[in-house]
Amino acid sequence: MSSRSGPQSGQTALLFLPGDSLLHRANPLTSLIFMLWMISAAAVLPTIGTTILIVAGVALSFAMGVGPRVTKRLVITMLPLLVALLVVHGFLVSRPDFIPLVGPLTYSPTGLEYAAQVVTRIGAMLTASLIFVTTTHPGDILKSLDQRGVSPGVSYLIASPLLLIEPFSERAKAIRDAQRARGLDLTSTFKARFKALPALLIPLITLALSDLDHRASILNSRAFRAQKHRTVIDAPPDDRFQVWLRRVLIVLAIAQLGIPLLWR
Amino acid sequence: MKFDTRTLILIAAAIVINIVGGQIAHFVKLPLYLDSVGTILVGILAGPWAGGIAGLLTNLVWGLILNPVAAAFAPVALVIGIAAGFLARAGWFKSWWQSIISGAIIAVPSTIIAVPIIVYMFGGVTGGGPDFAAAYLLAVGTSLIQSVAFSNLGINILDKALAALIAWVVASRLPTRLTSSFGFFSYSKA
Repeated sequence: MSSRSGPQSGQTALLFLPGDSLLHRANPLTSLIFMLWMISAAAVLPTIGTTILIVAGVALSFAMGVGPRVTKRLVITMLPLLVALLVVHGFLVSRPDFIPLVGPLTYSPTGLEYAAQVVTRIGAMLTASLIFVTTTHPGDILKSLDQRGVSPGVSYLIASPLLLIEPFSERAKAIRDAQRARGLDLTSTFKARFKALPALLIPLITLALSDLDHRASILNSRAFRAQKHRTVIDAPPDDRFQVWLRRVLIVLAIAQLGIPLLWR
Repeated sequence: MKFDTRTLILIAAAIVINIVGGQIAHFVKLPLYLDSVGTILVGILAGPWAGGIAGLLTNLVWGLILNPVAAAFAPVALVIGIAAGFLARAGWFKSWWQSIISGAIIAVPSTIIAVPIIVYMFGGVTGGGPDFAAAYLLAVGTSLIQSVAFSNLGINILDKALAALIAWVVASRLPTRLTSSFGFFSYSKA
């Protein structure tokens, strides 16, 4: 079975990577619920459990053909958090178990443990989200929502920004380059960079709003909200196994979150 | 709650403005977010609920395609849009100085919502600019929650005041044919 989203559509969805893996072929709702199950597990597992979850998630991402992208994004996002958490909880937050390290520098083993717990928990949640966004095209999520009767207005609110973000990011870069060519200073003092902001933002915002009237007329003339639900021609495939898998994952996610609360 | 087609398009444009605004803040390497200009603009033009939806969807869409961490702050963005709409309803977006004050006011509820998320979900850090200020405050003996609250409030006041000012400049310069269809905007006319 081929992937539903080709390379061309993948260009607008910034983290999505086209492919033919099991998760690429799965119904987007199955992938979404799998991600929510992983996030619920990360919320309740101890540090060792969340560490295993990250390793398993990264291994799964490589098996699905999105490993390099997931790993790169995970490292870029987690590295500043890791450093900040270790410094703040290991050395700065006042705790009763401070131990001398070098000279006047002291550290707290429980603070470092807490930093490890938080960083692996966020890392596991982020791994789950990254696996989902790299293997599921946003367009397929929308088709899946349309298939389940979500209103055209809600679909438009999610679909339209997804289509516009990449062209507008390119326009933002073009505006930046054009303003720099006119002498706008983006590299010197804080004050100069602060003063440069309106010259970059206002043309972009004006551009985003300039054809608002025109787009409203086109949509109204097509009567896009005349029917309560839209009909999807090429809805993402679904089967009984995936329906049952989703039900099991939802029950597991609720149990994972609920049982520790009852236990306490 | 059902919005007309123009408001839907305005919200969709605002989501793009917010996300690309965040990228522009990155271009100029300032410790600001600038990801709520669109949300505040919708609050001024179409009211608190449209503003809230614009904020909420910004972070959910951002989380879906670019940065999953952004989704955790969706409630903060929701509050920014609602607060901007209510301030506009009270006539606090009629001039540039009122917009700056409104931005500073918006920073307060948004910080109140953001601090528990930062402290309990992220251990008090976000990997961004305010972490340095929070680390300094911790080093001089302030508690974690207070350090995160003060550092984020400081950045937020500057960020939201600038965002509100830019939103006011854009809204006040929009052609009448465009703003005439947004009846709520009459509350912000001098």
